[in-house]
Amino acid sequence: MHIIKNKPWNLPESSATSETDFINRRRFLKAFGLGSSALLGQSLTHAATYGFPSKVNREFRADGLEPTEYDLIKGYNNFYEFSYDKGEVQDLANRGWQTEPWAIEIKGHIKRPQKIDVNELIKKAGGIEQRVYRFRCVEAWSMVIPWDGFQLSTLIDMVEPTEKAKYLKFSTFFDPNSAPGQNGGSIDWPYVEGLTIEEARNELSFLATGIYGKALPNQNGAPIRLVVPWKYGFKSIKSIVKIEFTNSRPMNTWQDLQPMEYGFYANVNPTVDHPRWSQATERIIGSGFLSKRKDTLMFNGYEEQVSHLYEGLNLKRNF
Amino acid sequence: MNPVARILRKRWFIHLLLCTPLFYVFVPALQNDTEYFADPAKYLLEYFGLASTYLFVALSMITPLRKIFPKFAIAKSIAIRRRQIGVSVFLYALLHFLMYFAYTGSWSEFVKDWDKLFILSGIVGFTLLLALAATSNNWSVRKLGGRNWKRIHRLAYLIMLLLIYHQATQEKTGYRETAKVFAPLILLQTVRIAIYGKHALKNRAKHDSTDSL
Repeated sequence: MHIIKNKPWNLPESSATSETDFINRRRFLKAFGLGSSALLGQSLTHAATYGFPSKVNREFRADGLEPTEYDLIKGYNNFYEFSYDKGEVQDLANRGWQTEPWAIEIKGHIKRPQKIDVNELIKKAGGIEQRVYRFRCVEAWSMVIPWDGFQLSTLIDMVEPTEKAKYLKFSTFFDPNSAPGQNGGSIDWPYVEGLTIEEARNELSFLATGIYGKALPNQNGAPIRLVVPWKYGFKSIKSIVKIEFTNSRPMNTWQDLQPMEYGFYANVNPTVDHPRWSQATERIIGSGFLSKRKDTLMFNGYEEQVSHLYEGLNLKRNF
Repeated sequence: MNPVARILRKRWFIHLLLCTPLFYVFVPALQNDTEYFADPAKYLLEYFGLASTYLFVALSMITPLRKIFPKFAIAKSIAIRRRQIGVSVFLYALLHFLMYFAYTGSWSEFVKDWDKLFILSGIVGFTLLLALAATSNNWSVRKLGGRNWKRIHRLAYLIMLLLIYHQATQEKTGYRETAKVFAPLILLQTVRIAIYGKHALKNRAKHDSTDSL
């Protein structure tokens, strides 16, 4: 017999705030000057809505993981396309940036190159499921996030890579009119990330289209983003418009910017320090002022699933 | 004397001015700012660090301003309160340091990062600030004598270099913010050196030869 036990993030429908209540409450707060300005004047976008509600996949949820509060997940974002200020992204990413409709181009060494609408892609992939992953930022903070989406390997099988395909190169959107951060700075836009094809085929590699059973908020990388939980957060590229199957290793944005500090692999590793801070421990987002740090786990706790990918590789040098 | 210059001579007014960062720190909490609630220790650590940096830059601008515009009444008024501002730079740096301690969570975590130049520059800078703050009272000035006191307080230039390094290293892409913060100070110092550098050097040479130490 299969007994379904409700987890804390598994809210009953009755406890959810309806969209109109939510908007009215914001108006009320605004009227009294209490609301965080970040949420005002926000137009609701829909991103990729296909497949909700998603089913929880219990295989992908380590014991004892307590998901981070939804408000913090969508209010504490590193998304330099909009701002360097983590608290400001939520406002700036919702001032008319359109994440629907959204197409992804898949090309390179594959038999079925295509440009496909994201909802269409989810349909073809067979819908979405929910997984709860640890999320560890290279800045030594962490969250636990219930992602909705599908396994990246499903997409790989769909497009049939050829022998020559050794790497996947992901690119995000480029639209300086909607994303003010793309007007300058030291980053060579658009943001690029990469994985080896073995990493991409790993069962943990995930394309997320939602969080907490709702379509991805813009600031979290709507409508579709990568999630590779054993790597530092910057590998999990947001708002993907292009996936290329390449023969040579792509140069990822952070490595390009600071090769001494950020590498291609960027595996979570408590024994390899960042030049400016230790990676041995992490701050838990939302745990308050005087909270102790948590020990960072090798491969962010996913050693069993991914360590075989790096056998014989010097992880100190290939950080 | 113009009214702004006059009110700046009031000790209570300068105190109030120097306390504004303390009042403003409650704003994000009242506004329900997620960045604050996500990690308050980190937020406060960065906040007090910046407050200290801005005050340090403002303080360091006083002398060049006085030299370049000797008749500028506002600069003259602030110059009288220089030591007071200096002590507040230290106090905000102390808050920054305490928040950093809270951020690391424990003593063992705290000392772990001292081998990183980024952290070390902050700790050395803070220690020097402590020395300057501790001698920023009338008793110390008398005890040390004006010349020695001045000499010791020239350490402020070393602190400035450490602070620029500390500030610039924490930036993740480029050095834009640091450049913005320190631009006015560097500009003023350059002008000051250009106008008075030669003159001052000549004067010092004269002093050194006539002074019996």
